[in-house]
Amino acid sequence: MVSTSDALFAHKNSGIPDIEELPHSNLEERGRQRFCSALRRFAIQEMPEMVRKDFDQRVAPAHKAKGELIGDAVAIEEVMKGEASYRFYSTLRYNAQEMCFQSVQEPIERALPEMIDVAKAAVQRNPAGGSLRLNPEMPIPPYVSQLDVHLTPGCFHNEWVEDDVAQGAVVSLGARVFSASMNHRSWGGVAKVVSRWLKHERPDFAPVRILDIGTSSAKNLMPYAEAFPDSEAHGVDVAAPLLRYGHAVAEHEGIAIHLSQQNAEALDFPEGHFDLIVSSFFFHEITVDATRNVLRECRRLLRPGGVMVHQELPATCLVDAWEDFFWNWDTEHNNEPNYTSFRAQDPAVLLEEAGFGPDENFAQLLPDIGTYPERAEAFGWDEPGRPRHGKGAWYVFGSSLPS
Amino acid sequence: MADNSADKPTKDVKLPRSSKGARSRFFDDPAIDQIMTFLLELMAETNALRERADTIERLLDEKGTINRDEIEAYRPDAECEAERSAWSQAFIQRVMRFHEPD
Repeated sequence: MVSTSDALFAHKNSGIPDIEELPHSNLEERGRQRFCSALRRFAIQEMPEMVRKDFDQRVAPAHKAKGELIGDAVAIEEVMKGEASYRFYSTLRYNAQEMCFQSVQEPIERALPEMIDVAKAAVQRNPAGGSLRLNPEMPIPPYVSQLDVHLTPGCFHNEWVEDDVAQGAVVSLGARVFSASMNHRSWGGVAKVVSRWLKHERPDFAPVRILDIGTSSAKNLMPYAEAFPDSEAHGVDVAAPLLRYGHAVAEHEGIAIHLSQQNAEALDFPEGHFDLIVSSFFFHEITVDATRNVLRECRRLLRPGGVMVHQELPATCLVDAWEDFFWNWDTEHNNEPNYTSFRAQDPAVLLEEAGFGPDENFAQLLPDIGTYPERAEAFGWDEPGRPRHGKGAWYVFGSSLPS
Repeated sequence: MADNSADKPTKDVKLPRSSKGARSRFFDDPAIDQIMTFLLELMAETNALRERADTIERLLDEKGTINRDEIEAYRPDAECEAERSAWSQAFIQRVMRFHEPD
């Protein structure tokens, strides 16, 4: 078998190999991965219903009989945290999270030198016309470095070897195991959902430049580049391994995107540079102070007539007590310490503080592509039978600027 | 996979297996938290063994006689993937037989 560097030389004028296909899992590893997918699905979809039934039928009536009010997420957690149902739900969910990432680490270790070669070839050749701009001097903010976010060992940013892509692979392939059995979550799903809604709401909107903040490996940037093919698509993140990996994927896919290693609290783009600014699963990972800084940067970078759409977890003020309790699990148990405090903010207030106008600000639930292939229009908050975020709908908040 | 490590300056990388930050505890006795990890890892190994047995059975059905390389090289088609995923879900449901609320 020829070495990867020989193979790359032989294909000098052709495409970049698919970096995602390089780690090969053996029979045992694939069996474990399938179990992790099924366990994660069981823990996140079926066990919460069992816990809810235990709360509704046994725990809540017992407390109400004693005259105790259970009115919010904190009160629900207080009465549930000692119950066997909640403890087993939590331990299954926690272990599933750890096991999903562990199940891909060995195949990645074996393939790492080849993956690095492919990522380097992508940087040298850029056949799709994209670019990668890294800044090794950029300090990693403490809200990224203090804990391994999502229980991903090594987090987003750690590098174990020169030109490393390992954490990009662990995050990307671990998440694939994580969501394999979940039919309403797919890679790039959020970007497809938001771009479909934008085209429905604003048929004439034709962004010249798009920015995705906290882009990770650009899985939720590439669909925007495809939805708006005449635009120039940019993504920023603090983690070099994710950006190298995402750049290799995009160059393989033939999608031109421009990735740079920057902290979104202070970006180096000029004022009014972007027509569309997006993010997905981003703000709850950073502090509320950092959120305010990033939203002010978005205001500075958005051009008149531009649109900003951030997919996030629904704010506390928009959900009932049980849903609030359900989302807050990750704060303490998934190494996302800012999750509850971000969700406690009213999106309308955050947007106004950043200089966006109340008439333009919005918070919406958008229909998932897989669950609602025919519907582009947002759900009404009071619409009968509307799905909740994560179960057929995606929560977004954002704003626009008058032309 | 070709051994081309000689022409690569990169060392073998061993990724960390545990996350930075205190591990959550859900039970009063930390031994139960540990036992739950043992149980779930054992279930993962059982799932992997079942896939090996399923692979051997499918290859025997198809060919009558097989060797170890064929077992490793076997790649399930979409129908087999779906059957195995359904088996894994049913397996978890059987083992995780929670008691009804009192």
